[in-house]
Amino acid sequence: MSIKSEAVDVSINHVKLLQQLSVELLPGEVVALVGPNGAGKSTLLRVLAGDITPTRGNVFYERQNIANLCILQRAHYRSVMSQSQPMIYDYSVRDIVSMGWLHGDNEVHENTLELALQKTIKKCNIDHLGNRRFNTLSGGEQKRVHFARALLQLWLPDSSSKHRYLLLDEPLANLDMTHEISMLGVIKQCAEEGIGVLIVLHDLNLAAKFADKIVLCDQGKVVSQGTPEQVFDSEVLTSVYGVTITLSQNPLTISYY
Amino acid sequence: MKYLLLVIGLAISAQNADGCSPAKDSTRIAVGGGSITEILYFLGVEKKIVALDITSNYPPKAKSLPSIGYVRNLSAEGILSLRPTLILGEDDIGPSEVVSQIKSMGIDLVVIEEEHSADGIVKKIQCIAKIIDKKSVAKEIIDQQLIPTIKRLEIQAKKVNARQTSIMFILSMQGGSPIVAGKNVSADGLITMIGGTNSPGNFSGWKPVSTEAIITASPEVILISARGLSGFGSIEELKLHPALKFTPAVKNQKIFVMDGMEMLGFGPRTLDAALSLAEKISL
Amino acid sequence: MFTNTLGYTKQSLILFLLIILAVFSAIVASTNGSFEVSVVNLIRGSATDLQSLVIMQIRLPRVILSALVGASLGLSGAALQGLFRNPLADPGLIGVSAGAALGAAIVIIISPAFLIDSSIGPFLLPLAGISGAAGVIFFLYLLTKGFGHQGVTYMLLVGIAVNAIAGVAIGILTYISSDAELRTLTFWTMGSFGGVTWNLLTPAIVVILGAMLYMAPAYRALDLVQLGEVEAYRLGVDVKGLKYRVIMSAAAAVGASVALSGMIGFVGLVVPHVARMLGGVSHRYLLPASATLGAALMISADMLARMVVQPAELPIGLITSAIGSPFFLWLIFRMKQNVY
Repeated sequence: MSIKSEAVDVSINHVKLLQQLSVELLPGEVVALVGPNGAGKSTLLRVLAGDITPTRGNVFYERQNIANLCILQRAHYRSVMSQSQPMIYDYSVRDIVSMGWLHGDNEVHENTLELALQKTIKKCNIDHLGNRRFNTLSGGEQKRVHFARALLQLWLPDSSSKHRYLLLDEPLANLDMTHEISMLGVIKQCAEEGIGVLIVLHDLNLAAKFADKIVLCDQGKVVSQGTPEQVFDSEVLTSVYGVTITLSQNPLTISYY
Repeated sequence: MKYLLLVIGLAISAQNADGCSPAKDSTRIAVGGGSITEILYFLGVEKKIVALDITSNYPPKAKSLPSIGYVRNLSAEGILSLRPTLILGEDDIGPSEVVSQIKSMGIDLVVIEEEHSADGIVKKIQCIAKIIDKKSVAKEIIDQQLIPTIKRLEIQAKKVNARQTSIMFILSMQGGSPIVAGKNVSADGLITMIGGTNSPGNFSGWKPVSTEAIITASPEVILISARGLSGFGSIEELKLHPALKFTPAVKNQKIFVMDGMEMLGFGPRTLDAALSLAEKISL
Repeated sequence: MFTNTLGYTKQSLILFLLIILAVFSAIVASTNGSFEVSVVNLIRGSATDLQSLVIMQIRLPRVILSALVGASLGLSGAALQGLFRNPLADPGLIGVSAGAALGAAIVIIISPAFLIDSSIGPFLLPLAGISGAAGVIFFLYLLTKGFGHQGVTYMLLVGIAVNAIAGVAIGILTYISSDAELRTLTFWTMGSFGGVTWNLLTPAIVVILGAMLYMAPAYRALDLVQLGEVEAYRLGVDVKGLKYRVIMSAAAAVGASVALSGMIGFVGLVVPHVARMLGGVSHRYLLPASATLGAALMISADMLARMVVQPAELPIGLITSAIGSPFFLWLIFRMKQNVY
């Protein structure tokens, strides 16, 4: 059971963005999607999210072709976090996080949403933001609020054993070191709770340290996938990135300067 | 006996079939139309008027009465609040939904027919007189005052007509091109009464006319309303307007200004206005 | 969606007060006018026939129509500002008002007299208005391939183009119109609730209320779409369905309103902003608040229209513009400060 793409092609206006891409995300693992700019990482994420329909090939959520799933059903499997738009109207932090709630007004107990919200806000370390107006927050703070929203979307009652997946497109951009580490910590925690996480990253060292699996892309194709040790090879990396890259072990460290 | 009653009944209804049937109660009249107000004063029954519209500006003392606003955009409740027993309006009274509403409340509302000619003016006065039961008063005044004027007008008009005088009526000068009377509007009727030919006269309604069309039409006389002129400037400035500069009317100083309602209201004043204009033109 | 219980309570309170305001205005408007009637007498049954006619046949239909029109303009304005994520959106923006105006202009200027005098005469104008509005929406639908994936900016541009085309058509009709037709059209474009009868009102009530009820459940999706169309999709929102729902109901409600009462500007623009200032931006509160505030405002504006220069009447569009334009300016200044 997983989210996977099978032999997916994406062409827009005769430009081949992805070719024959097969990738699988299992529950409980952190998969890092890495590669140079224009490699197709974001496109792949969007295909997995269902934003884009592939020109060829299929995407499956828990063995169901997503073409057969309606929009709301898809939302129950996975949540996504990517670059966000400015909010035109003056919503509060709580409002934004609550937008991730899929279970409507029919709650099992009256306080279910309230409890879930409190838990998620605490987990993502944004409860000091209280009920501030979202537009008054810094870029990094806003990102963390969107992350909390993506987490809230994955909320299930404790009794449920459904698999859920979290797709993150460069979630660490604009975060300072503390918050970078903190968010990665939460991500790791989610994986431990059984959520499958796909994260597009630029920083190869972070990928090496935090991911269970790496998918290395270049020019719309998968160059290699596997554990960091398997994928990170200095020759392969140098040819993919066009920059001299050296590796050292224990811990696995990638240097390019 | 039955047969006699039937004949009498038919005779009476034939008389009333022209839409000017006597009103049940004409003690409180609301008026929508300047010429109707004029006629009511003319017939000496001005005390019956309880409200009038904004075009009812003659005689000047009429303006002190309550106003029902613009006759094409009446307020049902507003008019009713003045408790009229009869409402008299010209054919542009409206909007039609409000007129229906008022009629459905059981208030007598009569639309007076309009014909843009001397005959039409007389018919209008006779119609109103019939409605308010002043037929004999009307007959007297018409015979004593209006018929002589009409006769003199006919004589003057013949003179104007003999020369086939072309007359252009300008409503307003705003917005570049002058807005001129074509066929089938009140001013067209006025021009006919005076004995002239409508210039350019090759269209219908009130329309803006270009400089070239005016120069081609070459009107010998220009009539303009006082408000139309004041919205533009003075007569001297009018004469210098590029559209009008080269017309025979300007060259021969045949531009005449008069109050708009006087000329186009088609109440009793319009007869005097037509006569005065015809006299000046045929000089 | 309201986990901040304090916020929830405040919004409910404001909404409650707005409803009271609307009801209060309706009562004041029904019992006041240029015609003197004592409502007490009416209830006791001792009013004259004419007095009760004035209240039941003239005033009451007017109050109800102004409430409906105000509510539909306020609600549509709020929904469109949400859908287009543009605080300057207004029902006129999607070309609905222009379409309705075009339909009305065609009827006023082209339809033959026999049609006007026939029994469907009074319905001609509203029918034409709704057809015009529907025509524009259909056109918009075709051009955007069924409110498809091009996004709302494209729709706004199409709406602007449609407005322009309708404007040209109306201009041509204006030029060929007779004097009387021209005056009728002019007054129609300034708006009025005069002359409304129960005959006209009953179908309008059905259409407008129906449209508003169809629009109402979109409140949550409208909040989610603020994150962006892609984000909203990811949260399970059928964005295409949302566009369809909001635009269709706005078109029906506004089309019917414009058809019956002419063009009334600024209400759809201004009312949602006032509602936001009073109670916040969440659409669960904003949609009903805008509807209620719109109704209260319109009822009051109509009362002003028929009492300020009594026994004459001002066109209501004049009053809404007179209040709306300075407010609009203030809104722009406020936006510059990025308070939003």
